[in-house]
Amino acid sequence: MLYYLIKRLGLSAVVIGLVVLVLFSLLYLIPGDPATIALGPRATPEAIARYAAKMHLDEPVWRQFLIYIGNALTGDLGLDVFSDRPVTAIIMERIGFTLALVCTGMGWAMVLGIPLGCLAAVKPNSWLDRVTGVLSVGTIAVPSFLVSIWALLIFAVHLRWLPAIGAGEPGDTADQLTHLILPAFAIGLSWVGYLARMVRASMLEVMGENYIRSARAFGLHPQRVIFGYALRVAILPTITLIGMGFGGLISSTVFAEIIFSRPGIGKLIYDAVMARNFPIVQGAVLVATGLYILVVLFSDILIAWFDPRVRESL
Amino acid sequence: MTRQGPTRRGFLGTTAALGAMGLVPGWTTAALARAGGTLRLRIDGDNNVLDPGFMTGGTEIEAQKQCLPFLAQYARDGETFTWEPSYFVSKLEQRDATHIDFELVEGLVWSGGYGPVQASDVKFSYERMKDSDWSGYFDAMDHVEVTGERTGTIVLNAPFAPFIMITLCHGPGAVLSEKAMADADGKFTVDFPAVCGPYTYKATPGQRAVFAANPEWNGPKPAFERIECNVITEVKAAELAFEAGELDCTEVGADTLARYIKNMPEGTGITVAGELQYMWMGMNTDHPKLQDIRVRQAIQHAVDVDTILQGAYSGTTAKSHGIICPGLIGQRDSAGYDYDPAKARDLLAEAGVSGLELTLRTLNNQERMLAAQIIQANLGAVGITVKVLPLDSGPFWEMGQESKGDTWKDLELWIMRFGTTPDPYEATQWFTSNQVGVWNWERWTDAEFDRLYDEGINETDPQKRHDIYVRMQEIMENTGAYVWINHEPEAFVHSTDVVVNAAPSGELNYRRFEKA
Repeated sequence: MLYYLIKRLGLSAVVIGLVVLVLFSLLYLIPGDPATIALGPRATPEAIARYAAKMHLDEPVWRQFLIYIGNALTGDLGLDVFSDRPVTAIIMERIGFTLALVCTGMGWAMVLGIPLGCLAAVKPNSWLDRVTGVLSVGTIAVPSFLVSIWALLIFAVHLRWLPAIGAGEPGDTADQLTHLILPAFAIGLSWVGYLARMVRASMLEVMGENYIRSARAFGLHPQRVIFGYALRVAILPTITLIGMGFGGLISSTVFAEIIFSRPGIGKLIYDAVMARNFPIVQGAVLVATGLYILVVLFSDILIAWFDPRVRESL
Repeated sequence: MTRQGPTRRGFLGTTAALGAMGLVPGWTTAALARAGGTLRLRIDGDNNVLDPGFMTGGTEIEAQKQCLPFLAQYARDGETFTWEPSYFVSKLEQRDATHIDFELVEGLVWSGGYGPVQASDVKFSYERMKDSDWSGYFDAMDHVEVTGERTGTIVLNAPFAPFIMITLCHGPGAVLSEKAMADADGKFTVDFPAVCGPYTYKATPGQRAVFAANPEWNGPKPAFERIECNVITEVKAAELAFEAGELDCTEVGADTLARYIKNMPEGTGITVAGELQYMWMGMNTDHPKLQDIRVRQAIQHAVDVDTILQGAYSGTTAKSHGIICPGLIGQRDSAGYDYDPAKARDLLAEAGVSGLELTLRTLNNQERMLAAQIIQANLGAVGITVKVLPLDSGPFWEMGQESKGDTWKDLELWIMRFGTTPDPYEATQWFTSNQVGVWNWERWTDAEFDRLYDEGINETDPQKRHDIYVRMQEIMENTGAYVWINHEPEAFVHSTDVVVNAAPSGELNYRRFEKA
């Protein structure tokens, strides 16, 4: 297990290194002078010179890269172009909102999707299985930004049941939860379908196994067979999917965050791209990627813990 | 057949009048009687630097106007933008071409125990601006003389007619507490070191900025006790939030403006703050393909601007006849050329040009791309083949600047839009001889234009200034290098319960909002 862990951590470090390299190159891949792009066409030569010095743009590229790596390793992701505030502090202010949204979105998808998948597998080809199948494919096919817009139009604009924008009054938990409902619904909906399909397929495979037949033959309660034996094995591929889903949602919440004007990492990156605020883009993408890798790593370790065969496969 | 229903001109005229009502001084008894309540607005991003010397602009100026004293504020004189003394001064007078006397009202105090607002604060605030990112606004100022605790004189180094309008009414004209700034080491970002105004300021990054009633404010109460400004980056998201009843007022885009003009929802109004953007299609007079003025004039006659206004802007923008925007001294009523494809063909034949191929560069946003495609079709109809080259903002803003490479040599046609301040001098400064290769990408020079530019700055008589700026636009147009397109409005949709107050350039002034 330790060897597996070291190998997985090494692989994650390589991925992070590549991401850092790509993010650093970003500054030079975009056409135009980085200082002019960031400060706008009418920026004074003095302001451009100040920016260049602050960003070390007047240094050789290799030196800039070393400075960037060195700072990143110590948690210093640079300063915001406009406010001069540390990028790390800005990211920390927003990351909680994104994590809350992702956990809520994936949470309700798990609560609904996993039991639906089980039920569909227990009664294959029944009306319940067919309805679940149609609904699953339907929710998978609809992109989350479309769900966001429709949810906002129906529940906020027309019915006015739920708030349309923001993250709620700071310090007011009930208000903040109310503001989570629509965006969490929007980003979680397609995951209900994914999880239901995945759990159904895995469960169908497991339900045909000899040990499940034996459990039934011993007269165990059907619920115990399903949830106590079958699901424990069938859930393994689903853990991988959930892990990747969590990671993917961290970066793909951008649509929900923009449409519902919620603070978060996705919106921070989007706003920074629009404003050509490169330190924020680099820092926030690095953190989002780091989180993704961390979550996937965690799910891999979890699976390796459950299934020793996986430890040998890397 | 007579066309019925609202027209763009009629509509914008009415809404501009409503906007003008908003510029009437807000400290009325009616407002006092109805004081209280919360006004919910939108800001398009966090206010990162509130310091007038180092701000980005936009909503940071909105914040300054609520929390800091200004000597002057925008007003309307009929259809024209002008200025008036603000609440904070009992006197603001231009004694002569280079001296502006002021007297602060008695009883103004800074928050945090920094004492009364004094003339020395004005001196400190304006003289420090000369070493700031916004120093250009104070180039004309020499120094401020303090003549008493509350009185002083702003001394200009040369006559500069627009100083009050473009500097004192705008964000750079904010006054700071000298003592509080000393305690803040001379600079600040997201917290005011001391405020003097009806509101205090507190922001939660990425979420909102809240302006609450300032307990130390002893001046007239504004109509709203609390202002909540939600950070909503996207205009479309803000429009939906307004329709969901979560905002009382927000800026709208061209397509939504068109939708509202056609079918105004109940309880909703629209106010146009100003139309201080000017867009044109430029031509490089140095380029071999465009050196013959008859070719440039042919292009002026070949472009159907009315179709661009309908096709790309849904009829919501004002047709342009020059670089001076509606509401400003020097605006022209009409251009010296019209849409006449037959004349365009004749001019091309006269110049002996056939099979002309040109490249039209534009920013890659939706409206500009549509405008470019219409121009492409128009020029195609007179035998000019146009290739549209959409660009990202980085290369676009560098393409005509000699200091940024050699692209300027290949420039042929481009669609350009500049924004301006509420005075005509600002728009004309980019086209003088010393701007060739900087912002005068059309690359013409004219001695009369340069002379008139200086005269326009020094002249204080409105009629003479009007004549000067009209003549300057004629000179520009006669180069054949310009096809005037439009002036986009700063339009706000709002509940009919509120009367919006906005600067001509679109910054809202919350403390001058009224309850309807």
